[in-house]
Amino acid sequence: MAHDTGLDVIEDAMEESLPIQEIEKDRAIEYPLLPDREGHDVSPEVTLMLRRSMRTQHESYATLVWRKFRKSKIAIVGGLIVLSLFIMAIFADFFSPYDPVRLNMSEGFIPPTQLHFVDETGQFHIRPFVYKRVQVLNADMTATWTDDTKVRYPINFFVPGWEYKLFGLIPMNIHLYGVAGDATIYLLGTDRFGRDMYGRSCLAGRISLTMALFGTLISVAVGSIVGVFSGYYGGAVDNWTQRFVEFVQSFPQLPLWMALAAIIPITWDQFAVFVTMSIIFALLSWTLLAREVRGKVLALRETDFVLAAQEMGASDRRIMFAHLLPNTLSHIIVVLTLTIPTIILAESFLSFLGIGIQEPLVSWGTMMRDAQTLQTLGFNPWIASSVFFIIAAVLGFNFLGDGLRRCGSHTMSMSGAGALLTKTRERRLHS
Amino acid sequence: MKSWGWWAKAAVARRPWAARSCTYKPPFGEVLYRKTDGTRIDVAKLSSKQVKPLRRQMRMIFQDPFSSLDPRRTVRIDRRAARDHRVAKGRQPDDQVAKLMLEVGLIRNYMDRYPHEFSGGQRQRIGIARTLALSPRLIIADEPVSALDVSVQAQVLNLLQGLKDELGLTLIFIAHDLSVVEHISDRIAVMYVGKIVEMTDAEELLRRPLHPYTEALVSAVPPADPDIKTQRIILQGDVPSPANPPSGCVFHPRCRYANQDACQKVEPKLEEVEPGHFVACHLAKDLALTGIGG
Repeated sequence: MAHDTGLDVIEDAMEESLPIQEIEKDRAIEYPLLPDREGHDVSPEVTLMLRRSMRTQHESYATLVWRKFRKSKIAIVGGLIVLSLFIMAIFADFFSPYDPVRLNMSEGFIPPTQLHFVDETGQFHIRPFVYKRVQVLNADMTATWTDDTKVRYPINFFVPGWEYKLFGLIPMNIHLYGVAGDATIYLLGTDRFGRDMYGRSCLAGRISLTMALFGTLISVAVGSIVGVFSGYYGGAVDNWTQRFVEFVQSFPQLPLWMALAAIIPITWDQFAVFVTMSIIFALLSWTLLAREVRGKVLALRETDFVLAAQEMGASDRRIMFAHLLPNTLSHIIVVLTLTIPTIILAESFLSFLGIGIQEPLVSWGTMMRDAQTLQTLGFNPWIASSVFFIIAAVLGFNFLGDGLRRCGSHTMSMSGAGALLTKTRERRLHS
Repeated sequence: MKSWGWWAKAAVARRPWAARSCTYKPPFGEVLYRKTDGTRIDVAKLSSKQVKPLRRQMRMIFQDPFSSLDPRRTVRIDRRAARDHRVAKGRQPDDQVAKLMLEVGLIRNYMDRYPHEFSGGQRQRIGIARTLALSPRLIIADEPVSALDVSVQAQVLNLLQGLKDELGLTLIFIAHDLSVVEHISDRIAVMYVGKIVEMTDAEELLRRPLHPYTEALVSAVPPADPDIKTQRIILQGDVPSPANPPSGCVFHPRCRYANQDACQKVEPKLEEVEPGHFVACHLAKDLALTGIGG
């Protein structure tokens, strides 16, 4: 028959595309797969379909999530923001043309350098350039910075500059951008001590982001373990755990954070302060996740697959950590992305008030401290520029969480296609 | 090597009974199990540690193939339990999984798939493979086909029957659909409100029911020939609550033959009325009930 030959052609083409061993392996398996105890022949179409289905690679969970994630524009935007913030933080030295911790008193409070494409004569240049900044004294004896438009200083990329160590290991002196000669480039201006605000913001991202991640990690670990215990054992365990969660939730968060952060001895070294601060943030933020996980586990522990695991003789620990916890993963990921911005905000708030992270460690919050006096801020508004990094981080993580929530929840749950099928079938039966 | 059909119409009694004999301790009563050495033990009285070695011998098939598989674990990982029970070592589980998959009519390549990639029938096959993983002596199947389409039901039933014969295991098959029970069972026990009312060989039960409840159930089976008109017996009223069962024979309020005082006051015992035919009815000897083809 005509269509048979057609199938054969497809089949041959398919077999050619596979390594011989693969085909041999497939052949080793008996073909008629459907209930062929009676020895019915399976039609060539079905056989072909089955062969094809055998060869298709199954999709991993990550692939599934990614496919859904890709469709959500807002999640992509959030992901990109977060990604770029992390890249800026990790390669902070590479992104700062000047050493962000070196004091340079003569260049304090320089406003952001303007990038030019068109020079004084109205001529257009493809490569952006800057002018040298000179300080002029006003009549009232205040100093302002103005552009000296005589010489153009084009921006160079991947220029050698101050020495640093990439990842704290590899000595390097290449920076993303810079200008040659005696002109300077401060994309976000300088602070009181003449330090590049952009470079400092990148550097501050390291502390702010790692503290948020570290704190969230602790919070997620505590929250999910407490949640899964509470939900799985239920009864008195659940009751007491939930009362404790409520007790923790009823603390006024900010004052408690302040109090805890304030009692950290100033004699401690920076790393100890950093870790302690992360733990303080984690200690108050795990409750949300504990509630979420507990609720999900309460529903899951009644399902047959948990019963099946019990019936197989699986230990409680195995059921909790191999079956229940992975099934709450989508919730955990979402709560995780929502906890990070909370901790970023809390950290900047405390640092702004001068408790917690101290100089010389720099976080987005400590950078904001310089903007505390209204007068300084009024004259030099750019010193509050780290607020944009905070906003970007908070929005980025929120967008990301929102997108993940949408693609994580129904991807692999039982309430997916299967349940839908059953439902329609029931409806058909009832009608 | 018999398959037992437990034709349990009363849903309340059915599921907890099956589940409890596997995972929970029942609040009362006993679950007797004859071990390989012939001794009888009451599973209900054992602690969970003592039950664990028995779990290998008694396994369960679940009703809902959609919820009985962990959606986050591949078929391969799910079968790793075999290792926990020390019936397989090292890489052996993988080979064993492949063998089991073939046994239930699935292929090796499906091992790394997640449950959502399978149809209901395939999932139920996986459930059966899981049950077989520990080579049990007794399988309790709790309505294993009620969630499946009729065509798929037949596949799964054939599979179960084949496995029963090949592996020589005992199957306790709980179902409400008589055609399913009839197909797979050697002996059938009919339950009403948590109690066995009639128990005998499958054919005998369908041809010559001795309990009025069985008669009513049998009359509800549609014959394969549309021209045959059957006299359907419609029972009046609802299944009573097992928490507050009627006095005497639990079936008497709905029984069309109940006329004696004894029906209302004395609870009938399950007695061997004929060789191998147990009935719990005061009127068993007096009634001439109709079965299939009768």
